[in-house]
Amino acid sequence: MSVVAVFVNVLLFLLLAPLFEGVMRKITARVQSRQGPPVVQPYFDLLKLLGKDRVDSARNWAFRLAPPAAFASILAVAALVPLGSKVNALGARVDAITLVYLLTLGGVSVLLGALASRNTFAAIGASREMVTMVMVEPVLAMTLLVGAARGHSLGLGAAVFGASAAGYGLSTAVMLAAYAVALQAFVAKQPFDIPEAEIEVLEGPFIEYSGPDYALFRWYMMMKQMVYAWLFAAGFLPFLRTGSYVGDLLTQLLGTLLVFVAIALVGSTNPRLRIDQAVKIYAGLIAVALVAVGLAVAGL
Amino acid sequence: MNVLDRIETELRGRLGAGLERTESPGPARLFVDVERSALRAAAKALIGLGGRYMVGIGTDEIARKGTLGLIHTFAFDADHAAVVLRTAAPAADPVFDSITPDIPSAGWSEREYQDLLGMRCTGHPKPKRLILADDWPDGVYPLRKEVPHDLEPPAAEDVAYRLDEAPPGTTVVPIGPFHVSLHEPEHFAVYVDGETIKGCDYRGFMTHRGIEKLCQTQVSYNEVPFVAERICGICGSVHACCYAQAVEAAAGIRVPRRAEYIRTVMLEIERLHSHLLWLGIAGHLIGFDTVFMQAWRVREKVMWLSERITGNRKTYGMILIGGVRRDIGPEVRADIEGVLASLEKEVLTLKNAVIGDGAIHRRTKGVGYLSKEETARWSLIGPVARARGLRLDTRKDHPYAAYDDMTFDVPVVDSGDVWGTLVVRVLEIFESIAILRQALAKMPEGPLMADMPEALPPLRHAVSMVEAPRGESVHYVITGEENRPERWRVRAPTYPNLQAVPAMLLDNQFADFPIILGQIDPCFSCTDRVAVVDARSGARRVLGRAELERMSRRERGKE
Repeated sequence: MSVVAVFVNVLLFLLLAPLFEGVMRKITARVQSRQGPPVVQPYFDLLKLLGKDRVDSARNWAFRLAPPAAFASILAVAALVPLGSKVNALGARVDAITLVYLLTLGGVSVLLGALASRNTFAAIGASREMVTMVMVEPVLAMTLLVGAARGHSLGLGAAVFGASAAGYGLSTAVMLAAYAVALQAFVAKQPFDIPEAEIEVLEGPFIEYSGPDYALFRWYMMMKQMVYAWLFAAGFLPFLRTGSYVGDLLTQLLGTLLVFVAIALVGSTNPRLRIDQAVKIYAGLIAVALVAVGLAVAGL
Repeated sequence: MNVLDRIETELRGRLGAGLERTESPGPARLFVDVERSALRAAAKALIGLGGRYMVGIGTDEIARKGTLGLIHTFAFDADHAAVVLRTAAPAADPVFDSITPDIPSAGWSEREYQDLLGMRCTGHPKPKRLILADDWPDGVYPLRKEVPHDLEPPAAEDVAYRLDEAPPGTTVVPIGPFHVSLHEPEHFAVYVDGETIKGCDYRGFMTHRGIEKLCQTQVSYNEVPFVAERICGICGSVHACCYAQAVEAAAGIRVPRRAEYIRTVMLEIERLHSHLLWLGIAGHLIGFDTVFMQAWRVREKVMWLSERITGNRKTYGMILIGGVRRDIGPEVRADIEGVLASLEKEVLTLKNAVIGDGAIHRRTKGVGYLSKEETARWSLIGPVARARGLRLDTRKDHPYAAYDDMTFDVPVVDSGDVWGTLVVRVLEIFESIAILRQALAKMPEGPLMADMPEALPPLRHAVSMVEAPRGESVHYVITGEENRPERWRVRAPTYPNLQAVPAMLLDNQFADFPIILGQIDPCFSCTDRVAVVDARSGARRVLGRAELERMSRRERGKE
């Protein structure tokens, strides 16, 4: 049963991530008084890109390796997260540190591809991506730490659900606030879509990618966004818990959808910040997250 | 004493025998002919007297006098007048003193005539090619009359524009020739240290269409307004009107008052359209696409209205020499009033949303700062100047069409940054609405066209200014003998404003490049390239031509 859950995880992430992306696009369009593309458009986009020829514009192994590496790392994340409040066969063998490690591996793959493409704009995008990773990933790690401290285990179940499993504490509230702001940076939406900023650095790290390679990166981005949105719904919204696997699956996906709606609304009502402005906000988030960890360790 | 008399007396006193002749065809214009040796002193004196440099005009007088003429124009805004400084040099020795060391915004005008007429301006700080393509042969000057308008010299291989030396410790980021924040082909080499801009070189004029040459050799007087409208997709009526006014002034044609009112209406509708379009693009440039989409939704109403009045959503085709082509009837008038009412409501919502948004403040305040003194030194115009404390508006300073009958404010702020430009342009939307309402209410009955003489008198000079949404447009016309202008020079507002962009970019963040360039609302088709340079770790990396080409993925194999 817990082996089946691994496959359910992978399938749900692969298939639903583009749908959530479509929902975000639709909501953004409505805010902008536009009709917007159909919600299934991201599937079409992926299919179209996957059907194109590969263009190996940088001609080196790192450039070719980066998209599958990023995609593989996010697949691994999808396979092991406790979706539906159930720690599955894979999840039981790893802990929160593995999760952080795998998510970071995806980001590092993007950096690898960007730097290997030897494009000025990719280089600027990579340097911005690096700053964002260094400054924002700690918030993720600390979210899991708060769960681990409150759940008294580094296991995935405790780290993800621990923050609110036994009701809200002060540390949960503080962490929730920090995570909510960082979420916009995790999913690279305005005001924190700085590394990709189309108008400045032309999609930054991804500028040299096209066709199937780019499809893998896009899919990777969508799944990554889904992981972070799900983590919010699973970690901070305890009322979504029903007790049954299928029930939790449904409520968590619904919660994820709502988180995506919020992301789209914030994204469409904010301009992009500059990296120097964003860094100041990220630094504040780390400080707040540290306070939350401290409170959790103190049992609050 | 009249201001022009005062200027004339001053010039006479300073130049002595260097001043050849003066004429004043109207109350607001003074033409001064000087020896070429006195040119720089005369230009410096005019700036010292409070003049603002507008544009230089080069003329080919070889057939008639064996000379090449150089004309500099100056506006005296507070005195509602313009002074034209004319000089000439034998075609065999077309050398002038450069006035650019004293007047930086003359830099492009002088480079332009080095390229197009083969003049040489000694002492020019940057005498590089400006307009001609890099593979254009030396010694062929396309604006000279001996060169046919359709000359196509063979393309040359392996010629490239040499970018300015990058400051030490910087990296070049190439913006253009194609880049999403540029809407037309241009190349800016931006020199960056990390993310801080340390300098910039510009190579443009990639889509130079030779419109002036075309209109001086191929078409007739009344066809030019339609070509003029196509200089720019946004301020077409401005160029048509400015050209028509210059011809009218040169030939002494009086335009019927109703036609002047209709011109005012078209110019203000064009301003409404342009301000809403720019506001949308400014939103897009700082990553705020909701502002972009909403501003353009509102703008759609203006386009609908233009179609209702002229049959065209843009490029109205309303203006002819001597008047306008279509009347504004009572039904159309009701439609204009209806659209203005709904527009005013929508723009008010938009204004409150944009001006009150703290996130927009963070992205625009203190960005692209230029002091009032530097703004005046660079002869900046339009909303860019009005955001930097200069009260310049051609509609007030040099009234044309029916603006002398209109009551309106000129919003001026002194924040000196992108924020100020944004505020000025948003507030001007309301002034435009007010002007339109007044124009409709006060519009007199009468004919739409002046009685035109059989032929226009040849070789008369006139300069005309019109306030385009982005700033002042200047047209200079010398009437010709073959039912077409002998010389027609167009200066769009981007021409002076773009020259000061490197000064505005200095020490700003690379992320702000799009909005700093975007604030001047650059119209490259009106005027006609940025590379970025990295000083981190002290290593200097300048991307040369080979690397640029490799980046463009064209000749990777060859390099």
